[in-house]
Amino acid sequence: MADHAKPHAPETPNPDTDAYAHESELEAHLQTKRMVINMGPSHPATHGTVRLKVELEGETIVKIDPEIGFLHRGFQKSCENVTWTQCLPYTDRLNYLSAMMNNFGFLNAVEKLIGLEIPERAQYIRVIGSEIHRLTDHLTCVGATGLELGGFAPFLFAMEFRELLHDRTAELTGARLTTSFGRVGGINRDLPEGWIQKVHKSLDRGMELIDEMDGLLTRNRIFVDRTKGTGVISAEDAIDFGYTGPALRACGVNYDIRKAKPYWVYDRFDFKVPVGEHGDNYDRYLVRLEEMRQSIHILRQAMDTIPAGPIIVDDWRIALPPKPEVYGTIEGVMSHFKLVMEGIQVPAGEVYDSTEASNGELGWYIVSDGSGRPYKVHVRAPGFPVLAAVPHIIEGKMLADLIPTFDTINMIGGEVEQ
Amino acid sequence: MSRVLTILTACVTIVVTIFGVAAAAYAVGGLVEEHGFAGASRLTNILFLILVFVMIIATLLTMAERKWSAYIQDRVGPNRARINLPGLKNRALGGLPHILTDVLKMLTKEDLIPGTANRFLFNLGPILAFAPVFALFAVVPAGPTVNVFGHQVDMVVATPDFGMLYVLAIASLAVYGTALAGWASNNKFALLGGVRATSQMISYEVALGLSLVGLFLAFSSVQLPTIVGELGSAVASGTGQAQYLWRTDGAFDLGLPAWGILLQPLGFLGFFAASFAETKRAPFDLPEGESEIIGYFVEYSGMKFGLFMISEFVEVVVLAGVTTALFLGGHHLPFGGEWLASQPLMQEQGWLYGAILGTVFWLKVVFLIWVQLLIRWTFPRFRYDQIQSLGWKILLPMGLVNVFVSGALVLWDPSLRALAIVGMLEIAFIMVLTMTTKEPAEGGAHGGAHGAHGHDDHGHGLPAGAHAAHGLPAHGAAPASTH
Repeated sequence: MADHAKPHAPETPNPDTDAYAHESELEAHLQTKRMVINMGPSHPATHGTVRLKVELEGETIVKIDPEIGFLHRGFQKSCENVTWTQCLPYTDRLNYLSAMMNNFGFLNAVEKLIGLEIPERAQYIRVIGSEIHRLTDHLTCVGATGLELGGFAPFLFAMEFRELLHDRTAELTGARLTTSFGRVGGINRDLPEGWIQKVHKSLDRGMELIDEMDGLLTRNRIFVDRTKGTGVISAEDAIDFGYTGPALRACGVNYDIRKAKPYWVYDRFDFKVPVGEHGDNYDRYLVRLEEMRQSIHILRQAMDTIPAGPIIVDDWRIALPPKPEVYGTIEGVMSHFKLVMEGIQVPAGEVYDSTEASNGELGWYIVSDGSGRPYKVHVRAPGFPVLAAVPHIIEGKMLADLIPTFDTINMIGGEVEQ
Repeated sequence: MSRVLTILTACVTIVVTIFGVAAAAYAVGGLVEEHGFAGASRLTNILFLILVFVMIIATLLTMAERKWSAYIQDRVGPNRARINLPGLKNRALGGLPHILTDVLKMLTKEDLIPGTANRFLFNLGPILAFAPVFALFAVVPAGPTVNVFGHQVDMVVATPDFGMLYVLAIASLAVYGTALAGWASNNKFALLGGVRATSQMISYEVALGLSLVGLFLAFSSVQLPTIVGELGSAVASGTGQAQYLWRTDGAFDLGLPAWGILLQPLGFLGFFAASFAETKRAPFDLPEGESEIIGYFVEYSGMKFGLFMISEFVEVVVLAGVTTALFLGGHHLPFGGEWLASQPLMQEQGWLYGAILGTVFWLKVVFLIWVQLLIRWTFPRFRYDQIQSLGWKILLPMGLVNVFVSGALVLWDPSLRALAIVGMLEIAFIMVLTMTTKEPAEGGAHGGAHGAHGHDDHGHGLPAGAHAAHGLPAHGAAPASTH
């Protein structure tokens, strides 16, 4: 029975008997399983429709994959099939919170391709419309940030002001959301009678509401704890990712196209560009809050100094002739017919032009082949790079940090997915 | 103006209704003692306190919350539902018909159970969340013991020796409901919510119990009726919270009552914050955090969800009741209590006296409910780890220090006056701290807790550039707006 007593060498480590296995077992971490959850496509925190595939370890985000495309409508291809003017309603639906800025940005690019200088009054109206919609966009963003952190009151204050501005927008353009305002060469209708006074009153009320939101959120310890130091992106990374607008300025980069490359009449107004320092959610929130005050400041100046004059160029190859001319003269009828049926004959060429939209640089790369329709329209949506950096910002942080981060970068599904 | 009138009318209606129901509770208690068996009034107390007072206040609270949040947020609130009866056809009735429609909606909705859910535990969840909350109120005295029709009638369901320990024990049972609901739904969001709820409730139970120890020491009892105390008379001074720390001489007693909030302000803050966390309402509503993980009850529909929702409101009422009994002197008036009790009319008509003091109790409860609504609608939500650090790093050490300081003071001066002086100094300190840090939004329960914790230096200055002066106000400083 000698064989039986012979100890045989261990072939595989046995944790129950091997001395060394005990030690390693004590040091081994508890085996956890990662959880993959889908936030969205329809989720309270995803503005619009975007799907976030989140891989969680406990409450920590290990991996996040934003998946876009749920709002894809074929914007660029659609534009190629219609006249330049008919593109306008499509641009409404890019950033549906600030439709006028898309309208005017597109028109500005087309005018640059034509080489057209629009009347001064039209430039003022474009500034007024843009700033009103900058306000509505920032209000939605700041209000939603409050809402999704659990504070319902700031959201409703924001909505009240936004509602006032929507009323003013409706009086100006005829629509609350999808404005399709402005035409190549100027503006399609003038400011309504007594509208400026109404806007002044709305802005007075709005200032109070912004102060209330400010009071409820800015120094609220819980809000500060939730936003300060979360969702941080450094200035270098932000530039590398292609950040523009408030998200970039919150990192401390003073870049605003309204100042850097003034268009329309922005150089005539006195306004400041708020710049943050830390690139976190709190700075992004503060930058937006201050930009709203500056927008109100610009609006008041613009409305006080707006000159009288024509609102659209007097060129029947670009602007529709006045109705008496259409009904009374053969030239009028012909111009009208050719404009409507063939579109504006934009000279062949290509151009890139950008304006400062509420979330950053809204760029347009358009190509014309000389016919009445665009050959190619590409939008550089400010929300796209902003969304692209979300994994970089949030991986390794907590699930709860995702919410304010996603709010303050303010990605808009419509323009990202076009 | 009409809104102010509506609010005034509502207030008067509430007071009159509370008085009526309290009087009825005492009268019925006296009648059943007379015609039934001894102790039968405890059974009617179950009916009146838990089914009438708590349940109806909780039901009305669903509407009060919607209306009050509407007033906070500059809205009108629900006013569309109408009762199609002559005379009522075109009246909004303060939105009350919405309660009926809500209940009908809950009851008639499809009761959906996910195919992969554990049916037994899934059904058990709402029950376990709902039942303990009601049982909590059993030990809370909602009125004095008075003589009705020759029988002693009190306004409490049970007076066990272990008093508050019962409340703490039953309160911790509610965690099973949420944990099971989160787990049994077989939904990842629900699971996250259930885990959050469990960790939050368990960690806050420590602070909840600890914040009360100082009070137990001061009144040498864990029984709620003893803590609430008996009024003094010509021969004996009062006990519990009915005693005066300092008082004027004379028939009308005026003085500083030994209420828990004066003796134990830190205990009050800790208890209020911790019990707020137990109710899982904002700012502690992480388990349901509707914009993040929707909540542990995401898979529930119909009345099962309704049970979770109503249990939250019941918790609010019960929490307010317990806090009133512990810290706000229960059913006692702040002054004049002994004078009122010595009136001949009050001594003859016990039910009247009981109803008056019962009204006092319920008005205090309503006030605390209002405070809770105010906090709930003005604060954002904490983050998961922040809530833990608030519980473990702030509330727990604060409670421990409070226990030692209170114990020493009670030992040194059994008349509780030293404790009260220190307590009032604490209140003054917290108020000064809150004001000097220029963070006015930090009122309420945990504001003091944060204040006591001190403010770390927010290193968030802004670059001193051309725009800085006009741009963002530096954090923590006065707004430097120049436009």
